[in-house]
This record gives sequence, structure tokens and C-alpha cells, in this order.
Amino acid sequence: MISLKDIVPAAQNNINTQFILLDKGKISLDGQHKTCLALVADETAGVHFQLWGDECDAFEPGDIVRLVNGIFSYNRNNLVLRAGKRGKMEKVGEFTLVFVETPNMSEIRWVPDPNNPKIYVQEAVISPYSRIFPPMQ
Amino acid sequence: MDLHMASKLIYTATYEAENPIEVSLREAFHLLEPQLRPPFSLKVPTQPEYLNLNRAILFGILCELHFAKVHIKHLHGIVTDGYTFFTSLLTKVVNELYSKLVDSAKIQLIWITKELIHVAAVGFDALLVALLRQIVGGDFSEGNLWLCQELVSLFLFEWDCLLEEEPLVLASALYLFLRLLADHYRISGNSKIEALKLMEINLCVRVFREQFHLCLKIGRDLIRLLQDLVHIPEFRVIWKDLVLKPTEFRTNGFVDILQLYQKRTSSRYLLLRITPEMEKQLRFLLTHVKLGSQKRYQVWFMRKIFCVPERETLVIDIVRFLCCAHHPPNEIIQSDVIQRWAVIGWLLKSCKKNYVQANVKLALFYDWLFFDERVDNIMNIEPAILLMANSIPRYLDMTHTLLDFLFLLMDNYDVERKGLVIQCVSSAFGVLIRKGVIHSLDVLTHCDMLSPCLKESLGKLLPANPPPVSYCATLGFGISDGWGISNSIIGPTPFIWRGQRFTASCSGQAIALTNKITTTCSTENTGAPNSIAVTASAKLSQMTNIL
Repeated sequence: MISLKDIVPAAQNNINTQFILLDKGKISLDGQHKTCLALVADETAGVHFQLWGDECDAFEPGDIVRLVNGIFSYNRNNLVLRAGKRGKMEKVGEFTLVFVETPNMSEIRWVPDPNNPKIYVQEAVISPYSRIFPPMQ
Repeated sequence: MDLHMASKLIYTATYEAENPIEVSLREAFHLLEPQLRPPFSLKVPTQPEYLNLNRAILFGILCELHFAKVHIKHLHGIVTDGYTFFTSLLTKVVNELYSKLVDSAKIQLIWITKELIHVAAVGFDALLVALLRQIVGGDFSEGNLWLCQELVSLFLFEWDCLLEEEPLVLASALYLFLRLLADHYRISGNSKIEALKLMEINLCVRVFREQFHLCLKIGRDLIRLLQDLVHIPEFRVIWKDLVLKPTEFRTNGFVDILQLYQKRTSSRYLLLRITPEMEKQLRFLLTHVKLGSQKRYQVWFMRKIFCVPERETLVIDIVRFLCCAHHPPNEIIQSDVIQRWAVIGWLLKSCKKNYVQANVKLALFYDWLFFDERVDNIMNIEPAILLMANSIPRYLDMTHTLLDFLFLLMDNYDVERKGLVIQCVSSAFGVLIRKGVIHSLDVLTHCDMLSPCLKESLGKLLPANPPPVSYCATLGFGISDGWGISNSIIGPTPFIWRGQRFTASCSGQAIALTNKITTTCSTENTGAPNSIAVTASAKLSQMTNIL
């Protein structure tokens, strides 16, 4: 299980992690499928999550979710965590998870590592918090 | 299709992970399925086998309606621990899975509970308490009312058994159904609730009249609950007896209602009105969430609790729980975790209805009114003072509202014992200062923005030399308390509460209420021209309009 602060964009279904859903955006249609952006977080960081299809209605803010074989990559120009074709999301509880909303892994500019172009590294922070789901005052 | 196939135990939504408890029960059942039909093995099981057999039988009882009787016979045959494990497992199922159980499993649950009572299973009282806690306050949905109905019937029907084996569970039932009645009486035109109300009254009256010593165990919150019900004839009589004829209850040692006021209510009763899930969330909030990071949790909590407006009354029970049943350790108090006073402030602000707000404030201050350092807990009174002090200056209206309410309470809660109440509240302030919960009342008395009237009243509350505690806590006899009001309580005591004047004879004395409440005269009970009564709703709205 990986902490959200340690996820790195990659074209692999290798993210196994647990987080709490903080907020859900509007459901829109991508072709025939429902899609919805959400803010999720764990004790170490937050990230934008792309819900897909039935997932959009199945999860609510406050849900604690376990993700296996998820993928953290650019999807239509958004850097998002998602289950993807090979991943699976499961609700395992509610409420009782501590979280932070900064850093937000989606609000970071990643560049290929000069020493190993196959791997991404952090170059700069675009925004400390999500610009789409700012923290509640 | 085999009609006798085991049903599932719980509803699981898509995307929901399997529940570990359900899995362990189901797996045990499928593993041992061949052994669950007669003829049963006579081989003595090892300890792990015994536990697994219990799990399998439990699953079978809840999910195989047609074989339930076979399963219970099996259980009776193999049990070697007085049903301890079985009952504790069932209690766990109730606490963690009740809301997810399929309907047929819920019906079976009630059935097996009765069976366990009949064999005096070890821990059946904890099972009953777990069931009582699953009744959601302010919820009038069919499922919830069904559970209410089943449990009140169970308590009435199994009365003798319960009395013989675990009488204290009747005290829990009394607390719970008194509380529910207050909510149920706010609904009209529902025939199901009418029948339910009658049974609830029946049960409560029976406990009062036949097992009053159990009522004594509840302590002061019993009165808080009863006072919400004095508009119901059966409870008005009980109230009158409590105040005027304590000997009617034929319980040795009980001679005065003061004895109830002076007994702090154990947290076990206050927990009754909080579901395990709510308890878990509140304790989590107050243990792990830093002040400043609580907003999202509050939104989620509110969404669950206040999904329906009637559920607002739950806040009364939550505040009482927070004051009395959740006492954070020093490390938490000194950390940056959100404190109880902040949670209570937010809850109070969220209440829309006047009567709920008033009752929430009463719940917040209830342990102040008869506070006695020797038997009361400073942690019960701490949230109120911190909420008042920490609301300055940003939320000054909160401080005003609370102080106003406190003084109103002191003057009106029990007019005949006003001197005692003042003394107890004064003592509460004193203890809070002495133990360092606040440095001094200067934060209040020297606050420019607080009304001079309030500050003056506050100043009077703190004598330089506190008067000696001059009442006998154990026997409840009142003696002149140094405030100039004679409090001899032997014999009928005239006083006013919630619009009814109770007295054997008219004192002929106009009782001056504070200059904030003007009285209206109506002669309800005594017919004496000088008696003063303030109608309950007028009083409550006066109290809340000021606030």
C-alpha cells in the first residue's frame, strides 16, 4: 500500500492505496459513460480522482476507499488517479480517516527525470491545494 | 431452486467491500454445513471448533428461517460457556451490522434474543442494550418503528425473566422509552405510533410503580426526561408523586426528589441514545481531528444526522453524551485536536427549532444545577464554561445566550430549591477556576461587550468565601443554606415547573421570577387566586426569545 504523497505519474496500473473521498464534482458524460472528478486524500496528501461509470454514483464524500491496481496518469490533460480498466475501487468504511489536502499530487508539475527519462519527478508546485476543490473555510 | 436455501445475511452494495464479520460467519456456516443437521455429532469439539460451530449456528439461525429451531436445539446441546461466545458474537453483529441486515435476519434476531433471555444466556443484557441503541432518534421510518415496537413488546412480555436475571436492563429500557416518547408525542395522525406510544407508556409506568429502585439508579437525567412528558396524564401523576409523595414509591431511603437530582447519571444511559456508528464518529473527531480541519467531517456528520428535520432532537442526546460520556485524556485536551466545546458550539448553532435549542442548552448545563464536587465530575461541566469563554469575542452572541440561559435556569428550574441551585452553580464555577479549567471569570466579568446585567449577576455568583455546603447529599434533606431561603423539604413542597404548580396548599406568596420573564396568571391546579403558572410553551418561547 502506497501513501498518496509517494505516487508518481506512470502508465502502469500499480497504485494500491487507501484514501477518503472529500468532495465530488458534477457528473458529466464522456460519450456514453458518466464521469466525475473528485478530491480524495489520505494522511499524507490529496489528489484528484477520476470516477468512471457506475463509480460516480456509488461513492459519496466521507467514504473510505481501497484502490487496487489503480493508475495515476494524464487523462485528457488532467493528472488524475483512477481505477482504470484493470483497477478496482471498494468502499471499506466511512469518516474515520485523517487526511491533509496539501500537497495535492495533481497540482504538481512533473517532468521526466534527467537521469532516467522513463520516470517522472516533481519540478514545481502549481498550487498547494486543489484549485478545483479548494479547502472548506 | 431450493426454497430452503440460506438467505444472505446483509445487503452489500456494489463497490462495497465484504464485511469481515459477515465473511467469518458465512464461511463457518458453509464449512460446517453438513454438521448442522441432525443427528448431531457427540464428539467434544476443540476450542477453535467450538467457536466456529457457534459462528455457523448463528449464521444458520439468522439466515435459515426454516431450520432455526433445529439450529437452536443444536446450540443448546453443544453449549459449554453459558452462551457467552454466542451472545457476544450476536451483540457484535447488532453493533456493527444491524443497519445492513436483510429484513428476515432482523426478524430472526429478535426471535433468538428472546430465546437467549429464556436460557439466561450470559451477556443477554448487553445484547438488549445493543438492540436498544439501534433505535434511531427522531426517525419515524417503518423499519425504525418496527424495531421500537418489537423491543417494547419484548420488554413487556419478558418482564418477569428480565427482572429475575438482569433487572438493571429495565432501567436502560426506561431511559430509552422515556426519551423516545418525547419524540413520538410530536407526531400525530399515525395510528402505528398511537399503539406504540401506549405500550411505551405502559412499560415506563410499570418500571416506576413496581421497580422504583431501578429508577433511582438512573439519577438526575431521569428527571430531565420525565419533565418533557408531564403533559401526558400517566406521567403527570408520577411527577406529582415524585415531588409531593415520594413514599408512594415504597422504596426505602427515597424520601425526596432531591436524591435523584443529586445522583450523576452514568454514561451507560447516555450512550443508549447514540448509535455505535455515531459514537465512533464523534470519538474519532475528538481524538484525531485538529481544530481547523473539522469542516468536512462536520458536513458529513450533519448530512447523516439531519437528513430529515425531525432528527434535530438527536442533538440533545449528542450534547449530553459529549458532556458525560466522552472525557478526553489530558494529552488530547492539551493538543490541537478539536475540543468538545467547539463541537457543541457547532451543533447548537445547527439547530433550527427553538425547543430543541432550549433542550440542548439544558443538556449542556444539566450537571451544573445540582453540582456537588464530591460526587460530580468536572469533565461534565467543562464544555459549557469553555464554550462561553472561548466564544468571546468572535461569537459573543453564543456567550450571551448561554449565560442568559444559565441564569434563567437558576431562577426557574426548581424555584423551591433556588438557593441550592445557586449554590451548586456557584460551586461549579469555583471548581472550574480552582482546577484551572479557566484562570478566572475575568474573561467574562471584564468583557466590555457583555451586558452589564449579566456581568453583575455573574459577580454575585462568586462569593469571596463560598458558603459551606450545608445539605446532606445522601439523605437529601434540605437545611437552610445560608442564602436566606428555607429549604426544609420534609413534607409537601410547592414549586412550579413547566406550567404546573404543584402544592398541597397555596403558599399565598407571589413568586417573583426574574425581570426578564413576566408572568401570566392562570389557575390550573390549585384554583387558588394567588397561584402563578406560566404556560409551558409561553415559558419556553420566552426563554428562547431572549436567547
